Amino acid sequence: MTSPQIRHRVDPRAERAARTILTGQRPRLLRQPVATATVNERRRDPRAIRDAALVQRQPRPRYDWARDAASAGTTAAVGVAVANAPVIPLQVIAEPAYLVLAMLDRPGGEVSEHDRQVIAAARLLADAGGGAVVTVATGSGEALAEAGSDRHVALPDGWADDYVPERRAAAAAALMASLSPRHILFPDSPDGGDLARRVAAAAGERLFAGVQSLGPDRATRQSAGGSLETGHRPTRLMTVAADAFAPLDGVRHEARPLDLATPVVAGEEVLPRLGCARRLAVDPDALSLSETDFILSAGNGVTDWQSFAELGEALGATRAGSRVVCDAGHLPRERQVGASGTVVSARCYLAFGIAGAPQHLQGITGVKHVIAINTDLHAEMIKRADLSIVADAQEIMPALIRLIRERRHD
Amino acid sequence: MTDAAMGNVAVLLSIGRHPVSGRSRRAATDAQALEMALALRPRRLTAIHAGPAADAEALRAYLGMGLERLTLLVLPEGADPVEALITHLRHLAPSLVLTGRQAEDGESSGMLPYLIARGLDAAIVPDVVRIGPADTPDATYGKADLVQALPRGQRRALTVTGRLIATVHPSAPPARASAFGPARRGVIEPVAAQAAADLFLSDCEHRPWRPKPKLMRVKRGGSALDRLKAATESKSGKGQLLINPTAEAGALAIYDNLVEQGILP
Ligand SMILES: Cc1cc2nc3c(=O)[nH]c(=O)nc-3n(C[C@H](O)[C@H](O)[C@H](O)COP(=O)(O)OP(=O)(O)OC[C@H]3O[C@@H](n4cnc5c(N)ncnc54)[C@H](O)[C@@H]3O)c2cc1C
Ligand SMILES: Nc1ncnc2c1ncn2[C@@H]1O[C@H](COP(=O)(O)O)[C@@H](O)[C@H]1O
Repeated sequence: MTSPQIRHRVDPRAERAARTILTGQRPRLLRQPVATATVNERRRDPRAIRDAALVQRQPRPRYDWARDAASAGTTAAVGVAVANAPVIPLQVIAEPAYLVLAMLDRPGGEVSEHDRQVIAAARLLADAGGGAVVTVATGSGEALAEAGSDRHVALPDGWADDYVPERRAAAAAALMASLSPRHILFPDSPDGGDLARRVAAAAGERLFAGVQSLGPDRATRQSAGGSLETGHRPTRLMTVAADAFAPLDGVRHEARPLDLATPVVAGEEVLPRLGCARRLAVDPDALSLSETDFILSAGNGVTDWQSFAELGEALGATRAGSRVVCDAGHLPRERQVGASGTVVSARCYLAFGIAGAPQHLQGITGVKHVIAINTDLHAEMIKRADLSIVADAQEIMPALIRLIRERRHD
Repeated sequence: MTDAAMGNVAVLLSIGRHPVSGRSRRAATDAQALEMALALRPRRLTAIHAGPAADAEALRAYLGMGLERLTLLVLPEGADPVEALITHLRHLAPSLVLTGRQAEDGESSGMLPYLIARGLDAAIVPDVVRIGPADTPDATYGKADLVQALPRGQRRALTVTGRLIATVHPSAPPARASAFGPARRGVIEPVAAQAAADLFLSDCEHRPWRPKPKLMRVKRGGSALDRLKAATESKSGKGQLLINPTAEAGALAIYDNLVEQGILP
């Protein structure tokens, strides 16, 4: 008999109050008990609470105990039927108190990880006082909504491919004059850092380069060759160091085109002093493995080294191998991929006859796209790969060389 | 190969700092800039440092690379070197100024070359690895061909008109070793210069740098199950699998996939 009021089903006082009718001269009692009065509010019904907290039954039950009981009944019913897809609320900043510009690189038209980090840093500054983030890049702003952009200014599409730092700097200066943003952030990448320095030199303002941490009233960076941390109030022009801020996710902003009084093709009148920019062909085998973008790799399953060399040349890929291959002397030691070799971050990794030992897979964790050719269906490499081909490497290699030569001639 | 376009070259040299011991030394990319300038064999080569006279000894490592003399613009401690350098360079009127990429000591913001370019009204090209006079017939008036280093080992060629400031990338040809004898014999010429104190820098607070923990890509949102999966599972390609195709079919699949990824044209 520890807590009798919980164990009792009926609350006689409440029951009596519910049956009382106060309309006449004196209170009267109804004969029949009223339905609601039978339930004691203080009594817990664990089954009902459990049902109300259930948000998902499949693949296994999930409960949300923090939900309020009022809305529980309805959403629980939906939650069972629909695999709950969280809808991210759209955040609108209609009347921004000030603007924070994020000048993105957008190399090759895609929003890079570093660009997202810059937007995240810009959000830190904007959210501190009701400001809005304005992204400036080539292409449209749709892809930037999920990264946290409120407004977008599109630069001419052609600038994505050409090397036009002087034009970009002139456009940035024009935006700076017309929007008078409180801060302008750039990625501290080769292109973004160059642009930021051009803008800072032209504006005669101090650039706070390579920001490592940021708050509304303090920014820090590394100085003196990385031995000191320098702190200051956030200045107007800053570049954001790589991997210093986590990109946002789970947010949705408008990224709506900003209507400008004047279009941002300022810089047409700038007479470019840099010209005839063109990419040079580089010898893929002269690049270090950690730098290159496309690796052709061989393992113990490769015996036809002549074809392997020819294939590397035909593909324009940097050659590499597993440890077994380098131990056997087929490739030099600095071409070994893996834990005791080089950790690579190529965009594409084409592996012939590699089993995929843990020490090897450690070396390719940063690779985006893996293609594996192996005779063994159960090799780890086949599981890791995005395109797996169970076949003999010695047959695929010559066929691929032939195919490439054929396509190149017509 | 001494050319009219490359006749008058200036190199800006700062004092470097060893990342571990903290001792002063020649700065790595500045030494590469000097190497590039020496390899051009210009008619006139001026090497300039701006800073306190007390730092002169650290500059001898540059003289040891085969430089006969070096100009030291004497400034008080904590002064901004930009104005002094611009004034001196206006007077010299070089067609090419080579600098390092980022200083190893002081603010090391990499702004100095840009400010100099602004002051001299010159073009600026960052991350240069090779430089030479343009091989076009009208090369008489200052045109230079450059090769610029891009990320991932790529290279870009450029042509620049007029006066040029170039910053040197670490993958430019390595600097020659510094020899002791020439380093002793070389002459450091002090030149008095005017400079204002750098107010911004004295407004900043400095403290020793402490390494920060590496940023992890934590996925927020989704269910607990999704987050656990994202944190623990290694990325395994849920891709196509072809079992025992003919050699031609296999090769075609690889080729198409590479084209799709934008690796092959
Ligand atoms: C401390 C330590 C560090 C190590 N560090 C590294 C490292 O950095 N890098 C590294 O690579 N290894 C490293 N290793 C070695 C690693 O454990 C494996 O031994 C090695 O990666 C295996 O190489 P492999 O896949 O080429 O050869 P194997 O394991 O012999 O696999 C060959 C594969 O080729 C397939 N095959 C055979 N014939 C054909 C054919 N005709 N066509 C197609 N496929 C065929 C087979 O099915 C098999 O899957 C390390 C080991 C240790 C102990
Ligand atoms: N005091 C100085 N005297 C001469 N050159 C300098 C000086 N400071 C910087 N530089 C040059 O400018 C480059 C970039 O410097 P910074 O902008 O300070 O990072 C350096 O690599 C040097 O080539």
